[in-house]
Amino acid sequence: MGGNAYTFKLFGLTFNFTNMLSGLIVCVIVFAVMYGLSRHITMKPTGGQNVLEWLIEFTNGIVRAQFNQETSGFFSFFIFILFVFIFVANQFGLIFQMGWNGHELLRSPTADPVVTLTFSMTTILLSHFLGIAQRGFKNYFKGFVSPMPGMLPINLIEEFTNFITLGLRIFGNIYSGELLLKLIAGMAFSHGIATMIVSLPLEIAWQGFSVFIGAIQAYVFVTLTTVYISQKVVGE
Amino acid sequence: MFVLAESNQLYVGDMLFYIVSFIILAALVWHFAWKPVTQMMQKRATKVANDIDTAAQKRADAEKLAKQRQDELAGSKQEATKIVADAKKTGEDQRNKIVEAAQADAANVKQQAAQDAEQARKDALQGAKNDVANLSVEIASKLIHKQLSADDQQALIDSYIEGLVKHES
Repeated sequence: MGGNAYTFKLFGLTFNFTNMLSGLIVCVIVFAVMYGLSRHITMKPTGGQNVLEWLIEFTNGIVRAQFNQETSGFFSFFIFILFVFIFVANQFGLIFQMGWNGHELLRSPTADPVVTLTFSMTTILLSHFLGIAQRGFKNYFKGFVSPMPGMLPINLIEEFTNFITLGLRIFGNIYSGELLLKLIAGMAFSHGIATMIVSLPLEIAWQGFSVFIGAIQAYVFVTLTTVYISQKVVGE
Repeated sequence: MFVLAESNQLYVGDMLFYIVSFIILAALVWHFAWKPVTQMMQKRATKVANDIDTAAQKRADAEKLAKQRQDELAGSKQEATKIVADAKKTGEDQRNKIVEAAQADAANVKQQAAQDAEQARKDALQGAKNDVANLSVEIASKLIHKQLSADDQQALIDSYIEGLVKHES
């Protein structure tokens, strides 16, 4: 199933049209929701502002749990927008699963390993960058040989596995969830009305479970992001 | 332009596209949602802290004021009791004075009356004595002037006594 998407080449780079379209729609949804919730900002919060503030408090709580010292507003914002984007991307494929001519057009962007590894790579690179920026080169490199020099190869491997597992964990969860949804849907239409009746509750149950998984995975992703970055910034 | 993808190739373009679109999304959300909301949250936090301080201040003031009022109330109660007691005492004094004065007046009046009565009795007695003297003088003059007989004498005495009795009553 991995290859049946539209791709095209531009400037010597391969673009996946399915991913681009889905990602763009997710971006539009996120922006529309955020824009809609942040209208009529008042001292006494009402309606959408309450929801947005609750969300901000939630992600700020994740950040506060890892960072003891006061963090900059920008980092809190990065975690916030990352959480919202991944959450919406996880749920996106459950609602808009669309194909045409045997090729997928819309699906969860996070059901593609390239996309999730892009985000995990961004996170890991950001952690290294912030680590150097906050603590200087000396302390940054000291982090690789602590608690003793013999740990150096393990620490180097850990950086790599962090990058891989962070990306592949969310990909595996979302991809398998959507795959199973497709399989149940295929089963529903395989033998007429009898299989439909059997598949309907299965599909409903798995949809609900996927929503749950999507939320959990978004939470896990941003929590691990803060953990990795705080390890580099604050030290262990 | 579209070609069917070969399986499992690395879409480097997608990475670029996602990073760019994510940064644009982040910038937009930062500007339109995050900044105003967090600023308002900050403002609210400051306001709540201020309000708490102000409330504590007001509360302390109110407690002070209430204590002051309490003290004043207790003072005024005491004062009222004193005033009532004073008034009672004054009233009592005045009553006693009036009663005393009345008693003194009554004694005076009584004494005056007794004195008057005595005076009247004395005056009456004096009058009678004068009358008797006058009568005696009259009788004597009559005796001298008339050379009376025994009967005349008798009649004279009788008339005198009669007049005396008449005068006495």
